Amino acid sequence: MGTSVATNSNAASRIRDFVLQTFPLARKRNVAGSTDLLETGVIDSMGVLDLVGFLQQEFAITVEDDDLTPENFRSIDCMAEFLQRRLVSQHRSVASA
Amino acid sequence: MDFLIHHMLRRSAARFPEKEAVVHGNRRLSYTQVLQACRSFAFQLRSAGIARGDRVGIYLDPSVEQVLSIFSISTAGGVYVPINTVLVPDQVAHIVRDCGMKALITTPEKLETLAPALRDASPLQFFVATGNTNGHAAESTLPVHRMQEMLAASVDGDWQDWGISQDLAAILYTSGSTGKPKGVMLSHANVMAGSTIVSTYLEISERERILAVLPFSFDAGMNQLMTAFQQGGTIVLIKFVFAKQIIDALLTEHITGLAGVPTVWSLLANGGILKHSFPDLRYITNTGGAMPQAVLKVLRQALTATKIFLMYGLTEAFRSTYLPPEELDRRPTSMGKAIPDTEILVLNEAGGCCKSGEVGELVHRGPTVSMGYWGNPEATNRVLKPNPLLPPELGNCEKVCYSGDLVKMDEDGFLYYVGRRDAMIKSSGYRISPTEVEEILFQTGKIRQAAAIGIPDEVLGQTVKAFVVAKDGADLDCDYIQAYCLEKMPRHMVPKHFEIMSELPKTSSGKVDYPALRRREGL
Repeated sequence: MGTSVATNSNAASRIRDFVLQTFPLARKRNVAGSTDLLETGVIDSMGVLDLVGFLQQEFAITVEDDDLTPENFRSIDCMAEFLQRRLVSQHRSVASA
Repeated sequence: MDFLIHHMLRRSAARFPEKEAVVHGNRRLSYTQVLQACRSFAFQLRSAGIARGDRVGIYLDPSVEQVLSIFSISTAGGVYVPINTVLVPDQVAHIVRDCGMKALITTPEKLETLAPALRDASPLQFFVATGNTNGHAAESTLPVHRMQEMLAASVDGDWQDWGISQDLAAILYTSGSTGKPKGVMLSHANVMAGSTIVSTYLEISERERILAVLPFSFDAGMNQLMTAFQQGGTIVLIKFVFAKQIIDALLTEHITGLAGVPTVWSLLANGGILKHSFPDLRYITNTGGAMPQAVLKVLRQALTATKIFLMYGLTEAFRSTYLPPEELDRRPTSMGKAIPDTEILVLNEAGGCCKSGEVGELVHRGPTVSMGYWGNPEATNRVLKPNPLLPPELGNCEKVCYSGDLVKMDEDGFLYYVGRRDAMIKSSGYRISPTEVEEILFQTGKIRQAAAIGIPDEVLGQTVKAFVVAKDGADLDCDYIQAYCLEKMPRHMVPKHFEIMSELPKTSSGKVDYPALRRREGL
């Protein structure tokens, strides 16, 4: 099992593609995995909603209110780590059900 | 006597020298510190060439520097022009050129992004940059002054104010139903009347700690700063992306007052506001569009100790109406009544007063009626007109503001919003001109005809829908068009929906038939 759990680097590159496609400022600055997207103003409160929609649809995860924090969304790497944690915990809860 | 904007700062610094005036993250400045920094900065701005009435732009995110800039420009005798940082470089360049801006205060990073757009025919003479920077911006030959040094400079000799209350103090750029954004001119008297009036009905005092989440380029956002400084309260600045950041600030900073637009409240209502209690939060105010009833319900459940004020205003008249909290149960969909020292008229096409229940245009009279649009007397004359109800003996001594908003009044004098008289779109508190969206769509070079309209959206009020006709034979890639828009306009302007048509409906005179497009959407 575990085939649905994306590898971290693969997930990061898919998130990066989405960020580059959706946020023009990200293209201009050619953001890296560790670039702070909040401080640089690449992502605003409306942009976060687009990202949440993308993560939920693309990776079939659920994003709760409490997940919406700077720690989880600050950079592409942060999002990939958050996604990884969520996929693992969802996988566990499915396995134990 | 206090008659200029920075006199409010001077007075509060005399009353509460050590009190916290402005807070941003770990930075906390007392009124004395703000006053001293503003005196130095104003002195340096004059030395750098700012003369009475010169326009100085502020293109900064929420920051202590932003607050210092506003009061320093006023102190120097200049006119401050706050620019929303969501605007893209071309739009900033429009504002710079339109108001003949002499200096622009920004960050080194933003300056680098802006420089190419400001290269041609810019009236700018110098930049002021926050943070660390060298003497020149990339791609610009203009001098760049360091704000840090200007704030710390010593002031020699006596300081003299140049202006009076009728002088221009600020220009706020906003969109109408056509063309590019126009600069609404506010006098010192306008801004100070606005803060006195709002402080009166919100009962704002020196005990207030106000969290500023709205940009100062919005009249309601600027008003928060002005009421705080006028009353000697504290303004807390925040750059937020998540509801949690606002909630944390409300709790840790013991915030007593918060103003927002419907999108802010939706964010909070969906972002865990019910999990906390806010004993310090004395009032909240909504402006920039109707608050969705479902969101209002959550807020009332979460904020049991908080008074909720629903407000209405347009930049051209600063603030107009508010619904007292005790009326919320009886008239939850009302915009309320006129603010103090203000009269709201509902006028029909013939210029007479509407009967109760009859739909007419909201016309505002009072001390916050602006000075009109910078450099645009024709547009000004369409919005600011002589009061039609004055006896002829008084002549044209008073200008009133025609809002373009259609409303009706009930028998008790409470107002209800009906719609716009023109094609202006309003989304998440922003005013959007359909023609500005259409012009950018044409710039793609792939479109022969385009029309933008607003369609209802639960959270945003409205979103933009674009009807487009491809140039002959071309295939239209809506993803490409949308990506192009994202480059050329801020997110709130970008059409959410596209519809490709073979031809747009036309009126008998050959113009785009917007009502027909709205009917297609069931509007």
